[in-house]
Amino acid sequence: MEVRTTSYHLSIIFIQMKITKIFITLLLCATVISCSNDDNMVESLVGQTGDLIVKFDNGVGDQDLIFDVSYDKSSNESYKLTSVKYIVSNIELTKSDGSTFMYPEIENAFIVDEADANNAGEIYITLNDVPAGDYTKISFGVGIDQERFQKGADGQGNLLAEAQEKEMLWSWATGFRFIRLDGVYSDATVTDEALNIHMGSVGTSLDNYREVSLDAPNTVIVREASTPEVHIKADIAKVFDGQTSVLFADGYNQVHTDETTTPVIADNLMGIFMIHHVHNE
Amino acid sequence: MAILWSCDSDSPEISYTPTYLQVEQPANFPEIQYNLSNNPVTQEGFDLGKALFYDGKLSANNSIPCAFCHEQAFAFTHHGHTLSHGVNGGIGFRNSQPMQNLAYFSEFMWDGAASHLDLQPIIPLTSELEMGETLSNVVDKLKADTYYQSQFPLAFDDGEINSENILKALSQFMLMMVSSNSKYDKYVRNEEGVTLTEVELQGQNIFENKCSSCHATDLFTDQSYRNTGLPINAKLDDTGRFKVLENPEDLYKFKVPSLRNVEKTFPYMHDGRFATLTAVLNFYDSGMVDNGNVDESLKRSDGSFGISLTENEKVQLIAFLKTFTDNEFLNDTRFAEY
Ligand code: HEC
Ligand code: HEC
Repeated sequence: MEVRTTSYHLSIIFIQMKITKIFITLLLCATVISCSNDDNMVESLVGQTGDLIVKFDNGVGDQDLIFDVSYDKSSNESYKLTSVKYIVSNIELTKSDGSTFMYPEIENAFIVDEADANNAGEIYITLNDVPAGDYTKISFGVGIDQERFQKGADGQGNLLAEAQEKEMLWSWATGFRFIRLDGVYSDATVTDEALNIHMGSVGTSLDNYREVSLDAPNTVIVREASTPEVHIKADIAKVFDGQTSVLFADGYNQVHTDETTTPVIADNLMGIFMIHHVHNE
Repeated sequence: MAILWSCDSDSPEISYTPTYLQVEQPANFPEIQYNLSNNPVTQEGFDLGKALFYDGKLSANNSIPCAFCHEQAFAFTHHGHTLSHGVNGGIGFRNSQPMQNLAYFSEFMWDGAASHLDLQPIIPLTSELEMGETLSNVVDKLKADTYYQSQFPLAFDDGEINSENILKALSQFMLMMVSSNSKYDKYVRNEEGVTLTEVELQGQNIFENKCSSCHATDLFTDQSYRNTGLPINAKLDDTGRFKVLENPEDLYKFKVPSLRNVEKTFPYMHDGRFATLTAVLNFYDSGMVDNGNVDESLKRSDGSFGISLTENEKVQLIAFLKTFTDNEFLNDTRFAEY
């Protein structure tokens, strides 16, 4: 995690934006010039930017995630979900040469909500103005890191309002829910008991932010004229049966701010993601 | 090129030329905790924050502003209410806290559930028992108001009416609320030749021996959470700090309150159960119960919990506590609605 100080960082973003503007202008000129030149020139990526789409696809093991469908978990427990949401932030891309691109902080927090998924069950995040390049790795955080949280409102634009609309903010304390799973569970003794996983950091006392780094199975080629799609699968089953297998009956049916249960869920979350494939146009 | 130029000249030309304000650092106070470089206080931002603080639009029924529960004359507490009530007559769970010297704190509320001043207002704003609103609704309401349309661009460089700037403006207003000119302050800073009376000095001596382990520094709090052995009110069963981390060691712990302007912030304790300072001192002397997790420092040599005080000591302590009253702050027109 790089160290960032806001004013410094924002001014960098500002400069980047300016530079981008200049480059777009240059690019327009370049296009005009290249129009009059039929020969293929060596591809120059300098100053070129493009878009990149990250698709999140939630599943349970080898099944699609569908609301209100019962899924089995370990120890003869089962569950049905009615909401699945999580926050993804600090998306960073790594090129084959090891250099990295961190998406601008102010726009670098996304709420992935299963309810927003298309018919194929995919939720799209579009990253704009990504420097052209060949990327091999994508990393991101699940939740909101302490540094950003401790800035309060600063640099957050309308994120707090959006998080609240998506019910990803606590109302009785200040803080984000990093993941929100609501539904019911059943086991040998109970049927359709409430299941609510609302895990987040608790102020500055308990840090449940976790980072994930995923290797791409094939190169992600970003160009002005080519928008790759990175298809990430998230296995929701691993929230409960990941690094640690937890039992709903042991209190893991209600996970909110508890100092012992929330970090277990946070650690499990790190392992739910994988890049299934990459489409290059 | 031409296209880019015209884009720039399209933006409305409201000039952002703020007048910066200084948040006071009184000589006898601990250091400012709020990161002012992220949100420098300006006159324009302060004015905006004040307008928001006194505006009922921040609530669902447009009639419960922040000031409803935080009245200046009582150091911004909800005068005369043990528990605060909000929209639709909903009754909250706690006694409203004074708003003063917030710049020097890093956690807020009786249980510390708010860990940044900017974010604290989200709690009353959205609580169904208090203002019952959502941030996006407030944004929409403010966008439709001509005062806010012109004030946000004066207060913030990007001029946006969004949750970030609403919260920053509220913080700017709150950061300026510094109470540091009580008789006690002037006495400890050797200002204006102010002295304490004999009784007040005796009270100070008792306070330093029996109270300042928790009510420490000139903010009169070490900002820790403590269980003081208040009998549990089963109807509310407010577990205090326990709610935040669900740690059994935190059961019934509450933030040690600052005692500034304590003469005016009655009723007392997190649930406002005591109407007078005498009642508070009677509790310390003889009302404490062992609820299983009482602060060890409150254990007497005979094993019971409490801080023994004679009637005379109570009178002296109260005289001293009243020297924390800061009339300059309570009457400061910068914070007044009109
Ligand atoms: C319905 C009454 C009510 C309203 C309206 C209200 N508050 Fe409060 N306020 C309270 C209560 C009660 C507490 C103590 C809460 C607790 O500890 O759980 C409090 C605590 C606070 C604190 C913490 C003080 C400290 O020392 O930790 C701040 C800051 C604050 N309020 C600001 C605001 C702002 C800003 C608004 C408007 C957006 C507002 N309040 C609206 C009742 C209210
Ligand atoms: C062990 C720490 C501790 C000691 C020692 C202590 N206090 Fe407190 N005091 C607290 C806490 C914690 C509260 C809030 C309790 C609650 O609301 O549940 C409090 C509340 C108060 C209040 C009510 C303030 C308000 O705004 O509601 C007053 C007044 C007070 N104390 C005065 C004193 C005096 C005078 C002494 C010395 C005789 C003293 N305290 C000793 C921790 C302490």
